Amino acid sequence: MSDAKTPLPAEALNHLDALYNLARWLARDPTEAEDLVQETYLRAIRAAHQFQPGTNLRAWLFQILRNTFFTRYKRKGREPEVMDPEVLDRMSTLEGPTGVENRLAGPQDGTAGLDLTAALKRLPEAYRSVVLLADVEDFSMGEIARIMDCPVGTVKSRLFRARAILKELLRDYAS
Amino acid sequence: MECAEAREHLSDLNRGHLEAGTAEAVRAHVGQCASCAAALQREAEVRALIQARAPRYPAPPALRSRIQAAMAQDAFGGPGWRALLRSHPWTVGSLAGAIAVLLLVWGGTLWMARDPVSRLAAQAVAEHVEYAKEMMNRPIPDPPALVKELRSQVDFSFEPIFRGDSQVQLVAGLVSDLLGKRAAAFVYRDGSGRYTTLFLMPEAGTTIPAENRMPIETFKPHHRVTSGRHLLLWKQRDLACLLISDLDEAEMAAMFLKIRKAA
Repeated sequence: MSDAKTPLPAEALNHLDALYNLARWLARDPTEAEDLVQETYLRAIRAAHQFQPGTNLRAWLFQILRNTFFTRYKRKGREPEVMDPEVLDRMSTLEGPTGVENRLAGPQDGTAGLDLTAALKRLPEAYRSVVLLADVEDFSMGEIARIMDCPVGTVKSRLFRARAILKELLRDYAS
Repeated sequence: MECAEAREHLSDLNRGHLEAGTAEAVRAHVGQCASCAAALQREAEVRALIQARAPRYPAPPALRSRIQAAMAQDAFGGPGWRALLRSHPWTVGSLAGAIAVLLLVWGGTLWMARDPVSRLAAQAVAEHVEYAKEMMNRPIPDPPALVKELRSQVDFSFEPIFRGDSQVQLVAGLVSDLLGKRAAAFVYRDGSGRYTTLFLMPEAGTTIPAENRMPIETFKPHHRVTSGRHLLLWKQRDLACLLISDLDEAEMAAMFLKIRKAA
């Protein structure tokens, strides 16, 4: 077994809390989050020989986590999100709130004034992940692009729009 | 610079990730565009709010143990661990953890400092690891019967003793020998298969080091980490008490309080 010769660096364990935190925001419940993280580490152990020492182990693990998330949902035949990020990207522009933002944040469905957790959960996954990776994990735009396998420009515009939606959702939330 | 380009850079500007020239151009644009100035403000506000208030979910200890065990097993090149992890996550987690610690203990005792507390700690950790291996998957005995049996085997009084609760079970009471002294050892197991061992022995001849005291409510036991395990040492009544655990520091402190207060 060739991969057994390259163990996963021990420091991979230092990122467990951060990976689990993102998993909790991605998965539907804590048990699913645990399964997701466990599978992430199993994959990382198996693929340890592909990791290049000196490169960003943390970003690599997050990339595996997110890929694992999508694979699991695909396997189960479930859509992780009601809104496809590609559709979101096409419908929105950087110029300001559009139909998508209004649909997500509009006051007509009584969503204004949500607390932060509820507001974050309401974001489409592609937006929520960008916000969490940027603001909680403090990844650079380039790292997030690698984790999410999309261009840096897309990350920037998703982050911009996610913040616009959050601001709207949270407008009555005490600052 | 146009609005669209400026807005792509607002987040990086707030995070200090822009090159000086670009940052200057974005600032110049924001200075004369009320809409982009508002957007910049919003970026900073939402980011600050998320950083301050978004809930963080720490990984459950049981998950940590399983992953730790899988990594240790992988590092040792053990075969078939993936299948084992899937079919028996708790058992394999404890087993591989115990094996890893045992190896550390063997290595650690060779260069361990010669002071009595270090020797005591090394021996106690080795015992603890052995107990954890032995207790795995054993049926839980009846705590009162266990305590009664042990009472007849040592020549000092150790009661009252913590007999477990909804989170942790007393799974064994054993006679031990630490640095030539007869000790009573109580082994507890939590729902995640992690073990804690409490050693009790007559306090005569045991000095609790004055340094590395861990404040836990009103108590200040001596704390150290030996071979990756947290260890607490203190005196109560006429006993020297040594607690060793697979738990993390905070959980260990909670366990200490249960034991200390039961006495």
